[in-house]
Amino acid sequence: MAATASPVAPVPVKGGVAPLRAGQGYSFWLRRLHSLTGIVPVGAFLFEHILISNASAIGGPIAYARQVRFLASLPLVPILELFGIWLPILFHALYGFYIWYRGETNVGEYPWTGNWMYAAQRWTGGIAFAYILWHTWTMRFTGIDLHEFPGASFGKVQSEVFQTPLFLFYVVGLIAASWHFAYGIWLFCAKWGIVSGEQARKRFLILCLAFFFVLTGVGLASLTSFRSHALQPTDSAGASMVEAGPGTTN
Amino acid sequence: MANTKTVILKIKRQDNPNAKSHWEEFELAWHPGMNVISSMMEIARNPVTRDGKATTPITYDSNCLEEVCGSCAMLINGRARMACSALIDKLEQPIRLEPFTKFPVIRDLAVDRSVLFENLKTVKAWVPIDGTYDLGSGPRISPEEQEAAYPLSRCISCCCCMEACPQFNDDTGFVGAATISQVRLFNTHPTGAALKRERLAALIGDGGIQECGYAQNCVEVCPKDIPLTQSISEVGGEVIRQAVGDLFRK
Repeated sequence: MAATASPVAPVPVKGGVAPLRAGQGYSFWLRRLHSLTGIVPVGAFLFEHILISNASAIGGPIAYARQVRFLASLPLVPILELFGIWLPILFHALYGFYIWYRGETNVGEYPWTGNWMYAAQRWTGGIAFAYILWHTWTMRFTGIDLHEFPGASFGKVQSEVFQTPLFLFYVVGLIAASWHFAYGIWLFCAKWGIVSGEQARKRFLILCLAFFFVLTGVGLASLTSFRSHALQPTDSAGASMVEAGPGTTN
Repeated sequence: MANTKTVILKIKRQDNPNAKSHWEEFELAWHPGMNVISSMMEIARNPVTRDGKATTPITYDSNCLEEVCGSCAMLINGRARMACSALIDKLEQPIRLEPFTKFPVIRDLAVDRSVLFENLKTVKAWVPIDGTYDLGSGPRISPEEQEAAYPLSRCISCCCCMEACPQFNDDTGFVGAATISQVRLFNTHPTGAALKRERLAALIGDGGIQECGYAQNCVEVCPKDIPLTQSISEVGGEVIRQAVGDLFRK
């Protein structure tokens, strides 16, 4: 009768981290979607935004206006923006905050590089998102509509970049977003088993670090080019003059 | 011949799973070759605190005393490691001893680490060889495969990798690096591979491999130098390939 009783009553212990819930939930798909959206389309957009579109500002107001006109001429721009940029960024950011909230950063006890990078990935993501919200609001949703008047683009950016605090916010946003993306590529490749070996991950990290410097460098060059050119018009009439070509602007 | 050099230990104590914890300080005479376990053995011989109060011996798990059984893991000066291989001369004094923070305390430094056992059962961390008849000898394993598998087989279930992981906590219920690495070990074994699909499928559940944030504390803290991050990368790749493949096949 009493054969099933254990010789010593087990200590009743409660609490602790729950074991693996095999077959339950769909957090795997959300987490992997979060990881994927960071690369495509959000990362791909950042790549285009910094290395192609913004870099065209180095060529001056006319080249910049031409690039903006090209982007505005793409078919179904509002759909592209909504599903290619805004919704993916919103999902990536909001789910990212959820991930941040659930992690317990412990760089105090374990101050190792990888752990610092883990913390930095959360902070850079948060900073980049705050910057992106502001940047989208002022550039896309308020002031002169650049899709209608691409010629006003250079001047509109200048109106912010010439204010030193805003210029610094641009620089901080650029560095945070570039780091988040560059290290994010490394994390993506490590987590998805694309670069798995220890040596391979080390080599790839150098490549990602180099990519960070390229992004930041080109971004800074674009930003300074706005400050090194004379102030451009930000009204509709001036915009047409910029687009009309040289000789019509100062 | 009075040796005045002493060792000071601050130990976090707790009488039972529901009691509040408190600190006790001990001062021991120094002698060569001391480690944390031998110090606690000395306290057990004369359980008197630094200020002369009689107390009880410290409760802790330990067995082999040579870093192969995995029992005596605890926080030493805030960091997860094995007490038997923690040499007093290499530690900053006063030496702080605390139980793991993410596992329920049973008493003093002894914690309930059965969550790892539950996780290992969930991923079927074994080679299925039980049958009703003699299955004969297993397939041959090449020296290369043996060399890759051996480091993984060194896991001693100490749970240091889980304690140090920022993602292993009550909110996530993350499975932890040790279990993921065991999945890799048994999946690469030619006979163990029979359960490969089930193991990978288990890791897709809530608290599965997706919760890894790649802070890499696990691989830094592992007393057995197991390539845990490489295991997470490789198993992560296999998990996503199987999960995406099943979307089309199943």
